[in-house]
Amino acid sequence: MLTLAIDAVTTAALLFIISSGLLIVFGVMKIINFAHAAFVTVGGYAALVGSRLGLPWALVLPLAFATGAACGALTEATIVRRLYQRPLDAILATWGLGIVIGQIVTLIFGREVQFVQAPITGTVDLIGVDYSAYRIVMIAAAAIIAVIFTGLLSGTRLGLSTRAVIMNETLAQGLGVDSARVRLVTFAIGSGLASLAGALITPLSSVDPNMGLPWLISAFMLVMVSGGSLPALAVSCFVLGGVQVIVSTFVNPILGGLTIAICAAIVLRIRPEGFARA
Amino acid sequence: MTLRHLLASLAFAAAVTPAMAADPIRIGVPVGLSGANSVVAPSVVQSAELAVEEINAKGGVLGRPLALDVADDASGAAGAQKAFDALIFQKKVNVLISMETSAARNAGLPIVARGKTPFIYTSFYEGKSCSPYLYVNAWVPEQQVPPIVDYFNKEKKAKSYFLIGSDYAFGRGMLSFTKAYIEKTGGKVVGEEYLPMDGSDWTSIISKLKAAGADAIITSTAGGAPNVTLTKQLRAAGVSLPYGNLAVDEGTAKSMGADATDIYISASYVTGIDSAANKTFLAAMSKKFGADLKTPNDLSVPEYEGVYAYKAAVEKAGGTDPQKVLAALADVSVDGPRGAIRMGKQRHAPLTMYLGQVQADGSVKVIQSFPNVDPGQQCPPKS
Repeated sequence: MLTLAIDAVTTAALLFIISSGLLIVFGVMKIINFAHAAFVTVGGYAALVGSRLGLPWALVLPLAFATGAACGALTEATIVRRLYQRPLDAILATWGLGIVIGQIVTLIFGREVQFVQAPITGTVDLIGVDYSAYRIVMIAAAAIIAVIFTGLLSGTRLGLSTRAVIMNETLAQGLGVDSARVRLVTFAIGSGLASLAGALITPLSSVDPNMGLPWLISAFMLVMVSGGSLPALAVSCFVLGGVQVIVSTFVNPILGGLTIAICAAIVLRIRPEGFARA
Repeated sequence: MTLRHLLASLAFAAAVTPAMAADPIRIGVPVGLSGANSVVAPSVVQSAELAVEEINAKGGVLGRPLALDVADDASGAAGAQKAFDALIFQKKVNVLISMETSAARNAGLPIVARGKTPFIYTSFYEGKSCSPYLYVNAWVPEQQVPPIVDYFNKEKKAKSYFLIGSDYAFGRGMLSFTKAYIEKTGGKVVGEEYLPMDGSDWTSIISKLKAAGADAIITSTAGGAPNVTLTKQLRAAGVSLPYGNLAVDEGTAKSMGADATDIYISASYVTGIDSAANKTFLAAMSKKFGADLKTPNDLSVPEYEGVYAYKAAVEKAGGTDPQKVLAALADVSVDGPRGAIRMGKQRHAPLTMYLGQVQADGSVKVIQSFPNVDPGQQCPPKS
């Protein structure tokens, strides 16, 4: 029973880490970045390169974030910027971009599966349950990401401009907020977060050109039910991640893999604003 | 080199090897150069190239040289149809020798039957593929699973097993055979769990495994990513039960590093086979390909031996007539890196299987060998 609870919490933490970048982009731009999975992959490879160079994890993670942010900034400036008025086309364009990035990664690194050694191995004894230490660390990582971004949004000048753009872009522009710059920075941060997530999951996962894809649908659904709010995302991760663990444990893991998508669809049908406060 | 020199050397070549002037015997190799098999396909092509080069250097087959036609089947059914069609009806190959996915093989077989072309399949697979044109020189579940289960039963005193796999034909097929075999040998299966092929989060399965109290685990996932994620997460969760992995190969085990340590694998070929034939083969491979050499493996070595089996069958049949070659293939025996192999059991081959354990440095140590494991009833004659 306790194992089940820890499974649920760590799964929620992982989901939160993966989807926060997507949420930030969606919140500000109302655009779903389907290249998110590709940025997750980029982060995995950044971690691979970093660990091959012998960098400590304290440097690997910023490296992954910076790589993703750079890719994101480039993407915003060249592709996404032209598509703000056409959100459906933006989905297509970013999906296509994801394929292109995947192929570039394949060209550089080959399509085989590669490996990054975990910085933390073994298990810890958690109130009588022997549990993977790295997954426990993921809970802390999710909390840190949540705190930093809440702080960034509510405590800084950039956060203030960002919130202004979210609420009413025309008005914000009228008050002298450079909304193009806000969008550029937000997209870069969102992509950087995706890459950071990619680096964080590598010790649990394999590094291959499609490593981000299995997470994309869940992340997308979670962002849809949370309607662009960070606290709502945390709630959805706990609820839907928890349901996924319960279904996987008591029914079977194949259905478990579908639960987030199905539950999200049901939630949106009953309550279109999802877990966000309307 | 001037034109005159070139002509002179061509004339010289023609003079010393008059036999080579004959029409080549064409070998078609449809293989997954792209798609899921693209990691392993280059090693298969290298094996075929070495075999053809060696045979041609010794005067070819019945005085005719061998020529290879490699075609990409994209690892799937649609690509295989195109590849088989092009090889059989345009290139007019005399034989097909290759490893492929089961989907590609099944899609190619009707075309093989239409072209009446012998097909030597060199990939291990789930068994019971029974086209009269098809010969198989690699293992089936009846040969791969018993070494691991027998070893766990006897040496590890395992009574209860937990099975984990990817949700697709090969994964489920292997594990349902494994389950039946465990129950036949007196053991018990306390859990059997699957994740979709692209699944990467094994958390709940691992929690169930830990709760089940099994003595040993046997896994059969799709190759590549699922195998890696499962192994890493098992290790991260502190699982140290005897761990038999039906889907990992030597190369993957090596690159997985410390996480792969102590995994048990069962194969008809590992590079560590201590025989003169294997050492000669490995030396010839590294001489021919040097730094570009792809490590020979359980999928590429049967390709090498397949070419030799075809050579022997053509020589026995006295020509490339498909029906005669097909009849001869059941009788000829090839002495290769894996030992003496004859595809005489319902077009399948008894094989020596090796139980290996992955060492801390990534190498595979052969713990036990099981000589001439029978493929069982693959294609029983209809009564």
